[in-house]
Amino acid sequence: MVFHMQPYGIQGLLKEGHKHLSGLDEAVLKNIDACKQLTLITRTSLGPNGMNKMIINHLDKLFVTNDAATIVNELEVQHPAAKILVLAGKAQQEEIGDGANLTISFAGEILQTAEELIRMGLHPSEIISGYTKAINKTIELLEEVVEEGSENMDVRNKDEVVSRMKAAVSSKRLGEEDILCPLIADACIQVCPKNPANFNVDNVRIAKLVGGGLHNCSVVRGMILKNDAIGSIKKVEKAKIVVFTGGVDTSATETKGTVLIQNAEQLEKYAKTEEAKVEELINAVADSGAKVVVSGAAVGEMALHFCERYKLMVLKISSKFELRRFCRTTGAVALLKLSPPNPDNLGYADSVSVEEIGGARVTIVKNDKAGNSVTTVVLRGSTDSILDDLERAVDDGVNTYKAMCRDSRILPGAAATEIELARKLKEFSFKETGLDQYAIAKFAECFEMVPKILADNAGLNAMEIISSLYAEHAAGNTKVGINIEEGVCKDVSALSIWDLYVTKFFALKYATDAACTVLRIDQIIMSKPAGGPKRDQPAGMDED
Amino acid sequence: MAAMMQPQIILLKEGTDTAQGKAQVVSNINACTAVADSVRSTLGPRGMDKLIHDDKGNTTISNDGATIMKLLDIVHPAAKILVDIAKSQDSEVGDGTTTVVLLAGEFLKEAKPFIEDGVHSQNLIRSYRTASNLAINKIRDISVSIEGKCLEEKKALLAKCAETTLSSKLIGGEKEFFALMVVDAVLAIGDGDRLNLIGIKKVPGGTMRDSFLVNGVAFKKTFAYAGFEQQPKSFVKPKILLLNIELELKSEKENAEIRLSDPSQYQSIVDAEWNIIYDKLDKCVQSGAKIVLSRLAIGDLATQYFADRDIFCAGRVTEEDLQRVAAATGGTVQTSVNNVIDEVLGYCELFEEKQVGNERFNIFSGCPAGQTATIVLRGGADQFIDEAERSLHDAIMIVRRAVKNSTVVAGGGAIDMEISRYLRQHARTIAGKSQLFINSYAKALEVIPRQLCDNAGFDATDVLNKLRQKHASGEGANYGVDINTGGILDSFANFVWEPSVVKINAINAATEAACLILSVDETVKNPKSESALGEAAASAMAGRGRGPPRGGRGMRRRF
Repeated sequence: MVFHMQPYGIQGLLKEGHKHLSGLDEAVLKNIDACKQLTLITRTSLGPNGMNKMIINHLDKLFVTNDAATIVNELEVQHPAAKILVLAGKAQQEEIGDGANLTISFAGEILQTAEELIRMGLHPSEIISGYTKAINKTIELLEEVVEEGSENMDVRNKDEVVSRMKAAVSSKRLGEEDILCPLIADACIQVCPKNPANFNVDNVRIAKLVGGGLHNCSVVRGMILKNDAIGSIKKVEKAKIVVFTGGVDTSATETKGTVLIQNAEQLEKYAKTEEAKVEELINAVADSGAKVVVSGAAVGEMALHFCERYKLMVLKISSKFELRRFCRTTGAVALLKLSPPNPDNLGYADSVSVEEIGGARVTIVKNDKAGNSVTTVVLRGSTDSILDDLERAVDDGVNTYKAMCRDSRILPGAAATEIELARKLKEFSFKETGLDQYAIAKFAECFEMVPKILADNAGLNAMEIISSLYAEHAAGNTKVGINIEEGVCKDVSALSIWDLYVTKFFALKYATDAACTVLRIDQIIMSKPAGGPKRDQPAGMDED
Repeated sequence: MAAMMQPQIILLKEGTDTAQGKAQVVSNINACTAVADSVRSTLGPRGMDKLIHDDKGNTTISNDGATIMKLLDIVHPAAKILVDIAKSQDSEVGDGTTTVVLLAGEFLKEAKPFIEDGVHSQNLIRSYRTASNLAINKIRDISVSIEGKCLEEKKALLAKCAETTLSSKLIGGEKEFFALMVVDAVLAIGDGDRLNLIGIKKVPGGTMRDSFLVNGVAFKKTFAYAGFEQQPKSFVKPKILLLNIELELKSEKENAEIRLSDPSQYQSIVDAEWNIIYDKLDKCVQSGAKIVLSRLAIGDLATQYFADRDIFCAGRVTEEDLQRVAAATGGTVQTSVNNVIDEVLGYCELFEEKQVGNERFNIFSGCPAGQTATIVLRGGADQFIDEAERSLHDAIMIVRRAVKNSTVVAGGGAIDMEISRYLRQHARTIAGKSQLFINSYAKALEVIPRQLCDNAGFDATDVLNKLRQKHASGEGANYGVDINTGGILDSFANFVWEPSVVKINAINAATEAACLILSVDETVKNPKSESALGEAAASAMAGRGRGPPRGGRGMRRRF
């Protein structure tokens, strides 16, 4: 049978079972189509009025979110070209931590227009060169629309931070940014080091506790551990802290051994000496002035007994990362072995207490003085999925803070920048000679996607909004954007909706890069998936 | 097969389920309404109970919303959110779990016609959020503080709150009896505020009225060895030693081994073992304690030894009970009998062993630290006592919240009617679509009194109209459903009270959940990964044939 279907051409070149697709129709247009499908999913989530997606991943975990990075991550995109877009989104998420949706949606949009250009008769390479010119020009133009005087900002000024963070947070949880932003700003400013460029996102922790509502959210200087203290002492103030990574227990040998007892005396002493040894150690710990003992592993019953006796509070932190953060919060040096601590190795906390929040018992470690170590944003919400979504909003906010520490320049938000870019880029395109002109003009039109989606998602008439935006911008009001609340065009400086320059810069750059990469592909060769031993098993049962 | 030849169609993994658009929102709403319908009939004093028979053959009878939702085993992703809010209400407030599910279901039901008419859900969400903020502020406004009253008065007030909760439960008939018990228990634990310090012990038999509260700790007699009978069973002002060690003749350490070269030493080793245990027992006795409790076993040797010295002992006491005894008597649990100082011994006024039903109970009462209470529940069937325990748990939580945030509002649907009226009034001042949405939110709130009437068999429309009229007249803010006559009455004056935090949390959680469900326009369900599926399911997957064989065939067809 195989003989009759002897492959020829490239098919004969490659191993049987691979797939090969080439040419405009088969490769380029189909690739574009796949990317379009992907953006159809993400674009409705863009902007403050974006819709949520409910995603159940392969582990049966439920996500309810409008965070594009999470959506594409959990979608498990299979198509190779669409994956490039996903990677662009992820790159944006890693670089800035926000604006992933803009990246993906914009890439999808310019690919869609590329399709039109291809149908017009342009060659992909001409489109690519046009797009490259367009993005370079866009970046130049982007510098021009930067709000004047915004490059100098005090990253410790809460108001300034909030105004820059608002757009990022409100796109996740609309109507809640007024509560969330000050919280995030507070938390970030507290841990901001002397050189803001060294701001570490990891220092802002998030504790999610089910129950209550948004107005119960708060910021705690210090850490929140999601478990109870082990012993009966539940509250200590102004305490020195000693941290043991190896657990607080009688030391046992790793090698298996047997204690050999030769006479009655030894037998009687055996238990006693062990007890005395533990007491001696705990006594030494208590003598060093420590009031709290933190263990990275199990706490032995005998050790716990003596800790209680010497009035030491005992905490157990089994996660290594959590233990490291705990050390950072309190300034303690973790000791490997249960041994009398050196005074230099002791940490300090203003208070360590166990409290009940929403039915769960948590240990709150407060440290007001040590300043910029770790702060925790306590999030409250009625369901896990709401909490997860709040967490992502806070993450975006914190990442925006990190970005603004590096580059604090801002642009007018709410589609004002996009319309301005579209307008100027169009003018630029008319001055170009050659076929690039079409690509640049189309690229400019793509910017209209942002106001269009914003208006669509808010239930407004998109065409009307875009035309009036153009009119305003042509009249010289370059900061006019969409006011979603009222459904009209307004000066965004009055609404104080600002986007960070870096976010937009990278989003547009990554999107164009991704789109050009997709356009450059003219052949797809998918080799036959390797048949490992795992795949062989079901093969017997297959219909073949 | 065709799909394999055109990779662009499989954007997502094979087996992925996607649903999108308006239809998706509506189908989510339908699922949630269905869930709300299943708990609907349990609301209120005349609510019915549900009998749930799970796959393990356990039977649960309950009208606690959270319990029912948990046992329903819901798989629909949107409906799961309702389960979550019921749980959250349970952990945050403890009661009002049916209310919160019902409200969320009703909010969604009211939103459905708008969604079908093409209103963008974000508009609805925004209005709902505004309405919920208004409602919460209104509750804060009209709630009545019980702060600053003397203890006796406060106790009576708290009992009223507990009664309101209990009236909707199986043990509603004895609500006064249990309400007092609950209030005493909560006040006993004081500021310690640890729920596990209130123990609930269940003893089948007797009637509900035989239940009693111990101002201290009570637990069932543990397994005892011979010699136990000779021990005294009642002490006045005893000292109590709490241990975490075994008092038994056994090897000290597992990894120790004895090797003897001289057979004559054998006896000395045996003696040494006896010495060790006698030494331990001796130390217990010397500490001056009259009662010795241990989490681990107390063997027959020890039991005899203590009996000879007029000491009571109990081994294998559960961790929970031992902790409670420690908290109540002020003792500390010891892991060693060496160096037992007076400080670590507990103390109580009276210890006795009592017969309850056909069980014997060890009861410690008159404890100095005081921070514990134990409720011994009696009743007919096991399921009945289980439900009674859940009901008491709800009541205890309510009283704890009321102590913490001491403001109350009128129950019996009065507060819901009042907020509803307030929102309707507010809606009239708004221009635009939002007016309609806030109106429907207000209408949704009326589900509580409506359901109360329905469950009691009254004409809901009639009662609601009376209520609306009364509330609109301006002075009937506290009027709610009269569950006894089918009319209306001043709930506040008739002591149908709820802590305001219950209502605030319920409205907040229900609105959040409703908004969350409304904001979802797409569901993507990825196929389960093999690791999640487990081995049994993996073999079923194999029949679908992935990878090489199928791909290969596709290619062959092509040429």
